[in-house]
This record gives sequence, C-alpha cells and structure tokens, in this order.
Amino acid sequence: MNEERMEQLAKRLGARAAERLDVGQTARQVVERLREPAPRSTWIQPAWLRIAAALVIVVGGAVLYRFTPGHRPVVSQHAAHFVADDLSGLSADDLRDVLSSFDEILSTDSAPASDSTDWRELDSQQLREVLRALEGEG
Amino acid sequence: MANPLLRTVAPPDAALIAAWRDGDERAAAELVERHARPLARFLAGAGAPETDVDDLVQETFIRAFRSVDRFRGQCQFRTWLMTIGGNVLKDFGRRAARRKVVPLDEGVRDRAGDPHDHAEASETEEMLSAGLQRLPRLQREVFLLRAQQGLEYDEIAAALGTTPGAARVHYHHAVRRLKEIVK
Repeated sequence: MNEERMEQLAKRLGARAAERLDVGQTARQVVERLREPAPRSTWIQPAWLRIAAALVIVVGGAVLYRFTPGHRPVVSQHAAHFVADDLSGLSADDLRDVLSSFDEILSTDSAPASDSTDWRELDSQQLREVLRALEGEG
Repeated sequence: MANPLLRTVAPPDAALIAAWRDGDERAAAELVERHARPLARFLAGAGAPETDVDDLVQETFIRAFRSVDRFRGQCQFRTWLMTIGGNVLKDFGRRAARRKVVPLDEGVRDRAGDPHDHAEASETEEMLSAGLQRLPRLQREVFLLRAQQGLEYDEIAAALGTTPGAARVHYHHAVRRLKEIVK
C-alpha cells in the first residue's frame, strides 16, 4: 500500500461514527453538563510535582553519592594528608633546614622565634611530628 | 425576509470562544455543532469504540470549555480539541483496562452494530485501523491529524508542542510502520 492510498483510507476512518453522532443532541448535553459544578480535582498541580521530583533527585543523589563504595568525604581526605609525609625523602638535616626557615618566617612576620626550637637535638621522626603539628595548627 | 448575509457568514471560532468565556451557552453549543463530527472521526480513528464515541466527544468538549483559558490561539480550536480528545481517549483506555474491558492497545474496534456495515468496510481499512492501534500514541495522533484531518505540520506541531520537523519525522515513522503492518 502506498502513502497516497493510506491517506485515502485514513480519511475514511471514523466516518461511520461521525455520521451516527447526533450533533444537536451532543451540543445540548454538553451545555447541560457545563451548568453542573465542575468536579473538584484532587490531582496535584504539575508545579508541585516538579518540585517534589527535583527534591527526590537531589536528596537521592546525595544519599547515593554518600554511600557509594569507594567514596571518601573530601574533608577526611584532606585531613589525612600531611605535607610532612611528602618530605619523607629528606634527611634530618634537610628537615632542620625546613624548620629553620619557618623560624625565619615567624621571626620576620611577628613574634620572635621560640628559644626551644633547637632542631639539632631532634631526630628525623621527631622533626616530622613537629612538622605535622605545625600543619595541624594551620 | 431574513438577510442572507447573516445566514451565510458564521462567526469565527475566536468570537465564539470569547462569547463562551463571557458565559454565552449558545456559543458553546455552536462550537460543539461545528467541531463534533471531525472530533468523532479523530477519536474513532484513534481507537475509540463506536458505542463510546458520543460520550468521549462530550467529555472532550467539557474539558475544553472548562479549561478554555489555556487556549491562546497557538493553533486552531479544532486541533486543540483533538489533542484534548487524545487525552480523554487515553484516560478512557486506562479505565477500560482497570475494568478488564477490551483494552485500546489491542485495537479496540466496535464490533457492535449492523453486520452488513462491517461487511462493507474494506479489509485494508480494517487493517489500517488495527495497525494504527499498534503505533505509539504520538505517531498515531500525528498520522491522523495529517492524513485524516489534512493539517499542515506547522499546525500539528503547535498543537502537540513540538517542532514541524519532529512532527514530520513522527508522520513518516508512522507511515513506514503502517506499511509494514498492512502489507
């Protein structure tokens, strides 16, 4: 069947139903029904449905993200990282130099450096702990 | 003697709609008389059982008149009516499915009435009608608005809230699928 033939047939679809329709009677019945009060719709307004759907997506997405395996909160990742750990390749002397440079910064910035910062008495492990402590204070 | 001009010049739909908004029931009746038959053809073509077409036409007009403020002349009133008719028919199909009546999607065709009439209906027309029920709703409605009602794509697109290009694509998909079904 070609398209033209299909369109011809389509024009005939429903013709019998249309012929049987009593148009005057239908018009009278419609007008009578329009005089009746409209049934109160219990359907939720589409705007509220959209808002509810958006809330579900946002909350659901947040919950899904939070409980996704392998997900770690950004804050905890930051807290677990210390610059001091990146200095693991440095020797004790190098670490002392780093801390000494802190002293210089502090002394030029504000208060004089503490007299207890004799880095030469500390080993590399202690120096790293000092660096971690400094980072924690920051 | 009646003025022949008054008898031949019918008020446009827009004037009748405005009159109905002001509460003129005669305007509503005039709109029903003007558009009921094309609407009935559309509904029957879209799968409404013949015995229910009258009720569905009434329901469509009731919904249209009660929400006439939403009609802003984006398309012809008749085309707008048909989109409402599509929704009415969809709701009817849902209710029918809940009542375990023959569902629309299985190609509801009225089998009541004069058997002679059915005998006269061509086989291909029946096949086309059954094929239409197997199309997605949008394709079916675009096909009917185009092929049965003879509307332009611009008009169809405005009524269905899509673009003329999309309406054209839906139409051609419908034709292609119908050809496969009817062949």
